[in-house]
Amino acid sequence: MTALLTLNNVCKSFMRGGILSRHRIEAVKNVSFTIENNRPEIFAIIGESGSGKTTLARMILGMQEVSGGTLSLEGNRVGGRTRKERLAFMAKVQPIFQNPFEAFNPLKKIDYYLLLTAMRFGGSADLSEAEAAADVALRQVGLSLSEVRGRFPHEMSGGQLQRVAIARALVSKPRLIIADEPVSMVDASLRMAIVNLFGELRDKLGLSIIYITHDLATAYYIADRLIIMQKGEVVEAGAARAVLSDPQHPYSKQLRDAVLSPQVTGSPSIK
Amino acid sequence: MTPQPILRVEHLKAHFRSSYFGVYREVPAVDDISFDVAPNEIFGLAGESSSGKTTLMKTIAGLIAPPLELIGGKAQFSFMPPETNLFGADPAQLAKIRWSKLSYIMQGSMNVLNPLRQIRFIFRDFAAVHIGGSRSDFETKTVNHLSRLRLDPSVLDAYPHELSGGMRQRVTIALATICRPDFIIADEPTTALDVIVQKEVLGMIRSIQREIGSSVLFVTHDMGVHAALTDKLGIMYAGCLVEAGPTADIFNAPQHPYTRHLIHSLPRIGDTVQRTGLTGTPPNLANPPSGCRFHPRCPLASDICRTERPKMRQIATEHRVACHAVAGDQA
Repeated sequence: MTALLTLNNVCKSFMRGGILSRHRIEAVKNVSFTIENNRPEIFAIIGESGSGKTTLARMILGMQEVSGGTLSLEGNRVGGRTRKERLAFMAKVQPIFQNPFEAFNPLKKIDYYLLLTAMRFGGSADLSEAEAAADVALRQVGLSLSEVRGRFPHEMSGGQLQRVAIARALVSKPRLIIADEPVSMVDASLRMAIVNLFGELRDKLGLSIIYITHDLATAYYIADRLIIMQKGEVVEAGAARAVLSDPQHPYSKQLRDAVLSPQVTGSPSIK
Repeated sequence: MTPQPILRVEHLKAHFRSSYFGVYREVPAVDDISFDVAPNEIFGLAGESSSGKTTLMKTIAGLIAPPLELIGGKAQFSFMPPETNLFGADPAQLAKIRWSKLSYIMQGSMNVLNPLRQIRFIFRDFAAVHIGGSRSDFETKTVNHLSRLRLDPSVLDAYPHELSGGMRQRVTIALATICRPDFIIADEPTTALDVIVQKEVLGMIRSIQREIGSSVLFVTHDMGVHAALTDKLGIMYAGCLVEAGPTADIFNAPQHPYTRHLIHSLPRIGDTVQRTGLTGTPPNLANPPSGCRFHPRCPLASDICRTERPKMRQIATEHRVACHAVAGDQA
């Protein structure tokens, strides 16, 4: 069995402060896990803000160098060294970010991003091929090119824009998607459609997804494995449903207890 | 016998109207909405994005600026004299009411607090006029109020960027409640927070609300928050209120097909039932569907739904729903 993504004691530290108050911040400490090539899965990373989830994601995307440990995709260094390697890497690993309003330039039309991704990473030779590829990807998220064409980001709601961002990531037919809080800006009624879509992509396209979230209920619902992070360290790891049904670490328990269940039983649960 | 409502919204309509180069566009973001909020009650509003939740909040708070226009209806607060309301009242009168009677907890605490001013001065800017008295009295009041939200007096000297997200959110809650307003509008106050902090902040909103006896209009799309916090709940879809009633009734016996779907789509820990999202796309409000706005996605749609817009009907005590399919078998 070959590994798609391997993390071996990955660390990241930042230096903060001026000459006198200089100190080191350990954002990610000794994180190790492996995602297998022929067993696509949804791997959830759970933790509160400041726990290093996003830093970890940025390192996997090759947007930030690791300070220690090794991180490799199919045996090669993440990010690549030359421009050609980098483009090949980016076609295989695609991100979906937290805030769709920040992910799109407000002065550019949305279809620009889809067509550009199709031409650069998706292997589309001309505009009509790129349009077809973009339309296929948009239909997978419940939109179509005709709805999106010519519209600017401000004309769409946050939920719609996030679905466009997911479609954009799908255009290049990647092997791995890094989704950083992908449903936190999406409506409850569409959230499950997107979470189910992740399951479908895993089952049909054999795509692995790293699903970064603080929503434990959707992680329980869709994820195969998960890790829970606190202050840069992994405090608990394992099969998603087993961990969330019976958390062991005190922090995991605290997190589990803070989840507000959508059920009303007698009096309100918050007094 | 229901007490006199503190807020009565009647057939409120507010549309975005724009006309550029002869292209006229009208978006009915708030379309014929009526509901009451009783004193000492937390009224929740849920709905997907672009369903007009925030526009409704702004209209109720009187923050109407072009291209948003008030088309008709009214939102009457009991603390306003009956012949006047927030729309078209003169600025001096509005300034008195804002913050002392009606306050607003806004979405995204980072964008609300001035990054160049210490918290002490932000409190002074917002609330000193309404509380009056000497500066030292005001300072003592502020410190006492902050301690209710378990904030240390030292935050007064901090700049907003020095505080964590949860602390900033507590500062904005303190700002909105220090004048003990009768009515608080909270627009997604906990969306950006982590679950542990969120639970804490919601508990604080609840305890402050109980203590000063005000009413809260609470907007969020997180149904878990509604289940845990609100007394009554209104569900919005495409600019219309489709169902309203006590929160427990809405969760345990949802009537409108959209609400039913919404409640049944929520995943819960410890339960592995396959959940489905809603099929179809949210309606484009610039060109809304005829009749009932939910009909293109509704499993129960019949001919009448395509032509006639359903009216809100009472189906149980305080439980109202706007749907032909539901009202039909009850009538």
